[in-house]
Amino acid sequence: MINNLWAALTEVQDPEMPINLVDLGVIYGVAEREAGVVEVDLTFTAMGCPASDFILEDVRDRLLQEPGVREVRVNVVWDPPWTTARMTEAGRDALEAWGLAV
Amino acid sequence: MPTQAEFDQTIKSGELIESTNEMTPDYLRELKHTLIVSGDTELISAPAYYLAAKRAPSINAFMTGIAIIQDELAHAHIAYHILEELGEDQEKLIFSRDPKSFRYPYAFDVPLDSWTELVVANGFYDQAGFCLLGDIHDKCSYGPWKRGLNKVMLEENFHLRNGRTWMKRISAAGGAAKDELQRAVDWMFPLSVEWFGLPDDKKMHSTQLEYRLKGLTNDQLRQWWLSTVVPYCEQINVSVPAHKETREGKDVWELDYPFPCEFDAEAKRWDFKQPITWDAVLERWRERGPRNAEMVAMFQQEFHNFRKTHHRES
Repeated sequence: MINNLWAALTEVQDPEMPINLVDLGVIYGVAEREAGVVEVDLTFTAMGCPASDFILEDVRDRLLQEPGVREVRVNVVWDPPWTTARMTEAGRDALEAWGLAV
Repeated sequence: MPTQAEFDQTIKSGELIESTNEMTPDYLRELKHTLIVSGDTELISAPAYYLAAKRAPSINAFMTGIAIIQDELAHAHIAYHILEELGEDQEKLIFSRDPKSFRYPYAFDVPLDSWTELVVANGFYDQAGFCLLGDIHDKCSYGPWKRGLNKVMLEENFHLRNGRTWMKRISAAGGAAKDELQRAVDWMFPLSVEWFGLPDDKKMHSTQLEYRLKGLTNDQLRQWWLSTVVPYCEQINVSVPAHKETREGKDVWELDYPFPCEFDAEAKRWDFKQPITWDAVLERWRERGPRNAEMVAMFQQEFHNFRKTHHRES
């Protein structure tokens, strides 16, 4: 199940850039706490992220579509702080193709 | 400078124009005019949105509002920067023009007085901007502008999302919140419809189309806007005075009120029983709306104050 949840999160796009949240490196952990209850540790690229509201909503909506998921709890965490080093190779390529040097 | 024949050939072939060397004086004039309308529209949206963003219901919402304003200023900068490359003085354009000579849509002269009105502006006005700029991005014969719009389009998506998400939330909340939303939609919908200008049958000739500065006519752009906004409003249970008809197998969006008609800007109220002429609309646009001077002063005043202070100290 956990693998499916990670796969589902690769379908959630950042609202401002053409990159998904997993490749962006902002998902720190996914776990099933009890049957059907999923907990996600997530951070933002900046504390003043103007899209944070939308990202939380998209993560919840997407994971709730997975079979067996009835509740999604999202913890916003700031430790460790996000840096560009947390991006995957695929994420870096996507942003470079879009014209952003990372 | 190219000969008229060379220039006509460039336009006809679909090639991009990259510098003033490849333009006729008339093309340059028309390009500048189109850029000024675009720059002025983006610029004025900043003070207009700011006055309403201050009423955000949470820090997070305020941050989103401010981020959108930052985007709009950057979009304005793209247009003014290109104008500078084309020989205009950016500083004069922004800080020394009379408020009435700014060329942005009349809608921004009517104040946004609440967070609800701001998110409807994000849903309606930014959609109008999206259609107009999307068309330019797609079709514009001037290369530097076309490429600059790549990022603009992406950011406008974010503004639309803010508008739509909040409109949906407020509608779902029901009660007084939903009534406020409906009131905002009632005056802002027809203003957005007007945004696209004269209907095609009143506008005999478009140099902008001829020069491929844009690709779609006013009515085509208006139909595009209606085709996105009307279904969305219906989906979130907000009523709008327009409906879809199918003619010769094609969807056509029809307005349920006389277009154009009388608008009381102070009361933010349309009188659908009072059709008017386009001449009267053009006259209202020329006169500008209630907050034109105030909006322009919001960025001009401090510039001049700073200059004065700076001058005294040095």
